Amino acid sequence: MAINTVGQMSQTLKGYNVDNWSKSIELGNKMDFRGEFPELSEGSESSMSFGEFLTSSIAKVNGLQQDANVAMEKLASGESKNLHETLLAVERADIAFKQMNQIRLKVIDAYKEIMKMQI
Amino acid sequence: MDLLKSMKISSSGLRANLKRTEAINSNIANAQTTRTAEGGPYRRKQVVFGSEPARDSFSEVLEGEIDAQAQTVHATEVISDNKPPILKYDPTHPDANKDGYVAMPNINVMVEMADLLTAQRAYEANLKSLKVTKSMAQKALELGR
Amino acid sequence: MDVNDKTLQALAAATKFREMRQEIITSNIANADVPGYKAKRLDFEKALARALDVDGELTMKVDDTKHFNVGGGGFQNLQPELYEDPNGVVSENGNTVDVQDEMTMQAENKIMYDALVQLMNKKLGLMKYVIGSER
Repeated sequence: MAINTVGQMSQTLKGYNVDNWSKSIELGNKMDFRGEFPELSEGSESSMSFGEFLTSSIAKVNGLQQDANVAMEKLASGESKNLHETLLAVERADIAFKQMNQIRLKVIDAYKEIMKMQI
Repeated sequence: MDLLKSMKISSSGLRANLKRTEAINSNIANAQTTRTAEGGPYRRKQVVFGSEPARDSFSEVLEGEIDAQAQTVHATEVISDNKPPILKYDPTHPDANKDGYVAMPNINVMVEMADLLTAQRAYEANLKSLKVTKSMAQKALELGR
Repeated sequence: MDVNDKTLQALAAATKFREMRQEIITSNIANADVPGYKAKRLDFEKALARALDVDGELTMKVDDTKHFNVGGGGFQNLQPELYEDPNGVVSENGNTVDVQDEMTMQAENKIMYDALVQLMNKKLGLMKYVIGSER
């Protein structure tokens, strides 16, 4: 039973008290928040491994770079006169790349931090 | 190289139009001149423009690169009008001939003013070109900064 | 990200052609009153598009390295087209230059030139950023 209102919550809690902890586990199962966050339960990303997730992100960033390159080439040869679209594509690719770079740096920092730990 | 050549072409346009303005100013100033060093009334001056392929150096001249290139402009000659002067009847004038007519320069000040405006527009157009070329060169200098 | 990548070369080539175009436009404006002068035009778009071949449609496909790829090729030998404008309105002294047209073309050329330089700067800036962000 999904809990959507405070009234439902207080009703569910009525049957339980703190001393009986094994019963609390039942309570945990009753409190179903998954309806509120659909992407957590349905997204195919949650079933991807971290490696796959990383590879697909890098592929997306690369795709944006390719799009920006194509847009620039079309502008240079006069095929497209869309100045704002070209600049927009270039900006997006730029931001995506710099974001990825920052994540990379953070991951490296985290790794170094872990390696510094004395066992 | 290309941008510096452009600036040379623009400056040649400025110079030519300046010469044209000089001639027009001379005409306007001398619209009533009846006595000149060559004798006779002032004759209207006109400037003839000619094109020349823009040359960077003497070596290019030697190579003979002529066809369909960018051209500089020159005020090639200043010619004096050959039209006969206007004869005005004024016996009291010191330069009147025996019939009482004075030979006045054949200059219509309205026409000269119109020409002056044309010359000014052309000068401004060339100046704008020069500014654009200069701005392009400066932008290129900022590459990689 | 290659320092020699195709896009950067294309941008550099386009910049060079726009400089040449500026030269021709300046020449037209300066000679706007010369009797008998015909307005000139410089076209580079077709040659550049062919060299770039963005959609893979303009060049011939080759299967063997020994076959020549006619029409594809580098940016080194690009030749622009320089010709006298056949559609010019001839004024009484034989001149076909319309100064207003030339000024408009000059403005457009300048805007595109600035855009190309800015894009080149962006590309070079990104490469420098990558180099400088090691820690």
